[in-house]
Amino acid sequence: MNLSRLPAFTRTTTFRLALVHTALFILFAGALLLYLFSATAGRLERDDTDALNSEINALTAAYTSGGFSRLSQSVSERSSSRGAFLYLLVGPDGEKIAGDFDFLPAEAPLAGELYVPFSYDSRNYAGVVQRNRAEGRIKTFPDNTVLLVAYDIGERGEMVKRITDVVWTAAIAGLVLSMVGGVIVSRSVSRRVESLARTTEDVMAGDLSRRATVYGSGDEFDRLAERLNAMLTKLERLMIASRYSGDAIAHDLRSPLARLRNHLESSLAQTGDRQDFEGALEYSIEEVDRVLETFNAILRLSKVQGGQSGTFDRFSLSEQVVEVAEIYEAVCEEAQLAFSSDIKSNLELHADKSLIMQLIFNLMDNAVKYTPAGGAVKLVLRRRRNGEVELSVLDSGPGIPEENREKVLERFFRLEEARTEPGSGLGLSLVAAVTEMHQGRLELSEGLPGYPTPGLKVSLTLASA
Amino acid sequence: MRVLVIEDDIEAADFVRKVLSEAGHDVAVENDGEAGLSRAQSDEFDAMVVDRMMPKMNGIEMLTTYRDTGGNTPALFLTALGDVENRVEGLKAGGDDYLCKPFAPSELIARVEALGRRASSEAPTTKLQVGDLVMDLLARTVFRGEVKIDLQPREFRLLEFLMRNADQVVTRTMLLEKVWDYHFDPQTNVIDVHISRLRSKIDKDFEVALLHTVRGAGYRLQA
Repeated sequence: MNLSRLPAFTRTTTFRLALVHTALFILFAGALLLYLFSATAGRLERDDTDALNSEINALTAAYTSGGFSRLSQSVSERSSSRGAFLYLLVGPDGEKIAGDFDFLPAEAPLAGELYVPFSYDSRNYAGVVQRNRAEGRIKTFPDNTVLLVAYDIGERGEMVKRITDVVWTAAIAGLVLSMVGGVIVSRSVSRRVESLARTTEDVMAGDLSRRATVYGSGDEFDRLAERLNAMLTKLERLMIASRYSGDAIAHDLRSPLARLRNHLESSLAQTGDRQDFEGALEYSIEEVDRVLETFNAILRLSKVQGGQSGTFDRFSLSEQVVEVAEIYEAVCEEAQLAFSSDIKSNLELHADKSLIMQLIFNLMDNAVKYTPAGGAVKLVLRRRRNGEVELSVLDSGPGIPEENREKVLERFFRLEEARTEPGSGLGLSLVAAVTEMHQGRLELSEGLPGYPTPGLKVSLTLASA
Repeated sequence: MRVLVIEDDIEAADFVRKVLSEAGHDVAVENDGEAGLSRAQSDEFDAMVVDRMMPKMNGIEMLTTYRDTGGNTPALFLTALGDVENRVEGLKAGGDDYLCKPFAPSELIARVEALGRRASSEAPTTKLQVGDLVMDLLARTVFRGEVKIDLQPREFRLLEFLMRNADQVVTRTMLLEKVWDYHFDPQTNVIDVHISRLRSKIDKDFEVALLHTVRGAGYRLQA
């Protein structure tokens, strides 16, 4: 049998589960119905059989105690008293002695004793002949007298038939219901899975904007779809970033390399002395260093963004930040910036120390680089009410317009006014990547008040160790 | 100094040999870990430059074996792997310093020479002297001639490192690593600022400048 010809949903785990579920249901329902049957129809039959047996035993006892005459008398009495039973006593010669029938039923054996089902005719109260079903027991006595005691099974048969019908109907209805339920459940589940699979196929085919449908029921499929969508969003962002950064790398490296080439060419054309050549070479080395620095920054960023787990250790962030403040106090003084800090002690982190330090340096570097002389830079480390650690670098520089705050965290995005500054345009992207790696949050807002320019405040929030 | 260079990339080995020879050192080259190990064990060197990724026996294995057999020549790892964990692994294996590729020749020279000096420095000293600049490591005082110079703790460490490496070029990254223990390169002039502050304390009011800037390479403290 070719399984692949079956509808898709029949090849799903859910459908198999539905089948198992149906089989279990059938087992349970079958057992229940069997029990019901034996507790009702079976019980009736057993009661009748018991009564029949005790009737036979009573008549046998009459025969044992009083012989043939006592037996025939008992049979005559009982058959005339319209009890539950029907009787027939046949002599050894086969003639009827007493009872309700004229002769033994055709189905009766000639000897032994056993149950026989048979039919007999009788007239009802309207005088109409009707056929009845009976079941009886035949006993042959030592003198070859044969006794038949039977009871009409019409009424009981009717009841048993009704019970049987009900049982069969219930079984079939249950089976159909559980099959239909199983199919519906498995089809709806496989539809959801199919839709997720289709989404991933579309994404693989290049449509990165495709997202899985979330039905809003909050079930496990919705949760799976939400996770998948979050993953796809991140993937899309990375893809766009890498596409864009390829262009940006080329763009950012082309200018220094072109400058370098021109410089080398013009130095070659000059007939300068040794000192001129040395100067040209020094200049070239500086340019190449800048290019290398950009490449190093790209590599570092790719490593962090690639999710390579860092070396996580527990360390005192407070001590480290105090040191950064000490370093940058001098740097700010040099740049004619007022430096202040507010550092809460005893704050610890479980993080990649080297990367966190690089992040803080990047933020401080940016603050110093973009804040004009006469401005101010402030470094703040505090614990928030919810226990998280918050590190902020504030400056009084030009700030970043709100619409660009998301963008500056992307690779190579540089505001036009920053293009003239040295740097690869990777500083803040590294900050963003390191933050993400540590599952922290980054917020950009306005910086120090009281200056003509809005300034910038970059806040990094991390879980405390 | 006699320097052993163990590097499988012929071109890179040649470059290192050239750079160190031009700086006046006597250089021997081996091209794989096994040959490097036997050469290091059979010959006398003041410093070794070891590449990490090599055929037959990588740099880590080679140096671990060398140290286990009692070899004590200081070693500098040359590596394309610059992560903290790679560096830690290198230092645990018995490396004394490391340098990431690509490197500047001046950086390589400065570090190899610092290694050589570290090996030759005798018993731990309590006083350092460069010209009339004297540092007392026990009393933690610095005098230039008769004048006492007040330094911040970090400035003291910075000056100590410069004095221990007197007459040699020390690069900015060396200072960042050895004095501040930072293993990355800040974009701004952090080091320059601190050097100029130190300079204003030790050179400003004196005839002879001791702390010189070597353009494109770093700094040198020289009497």
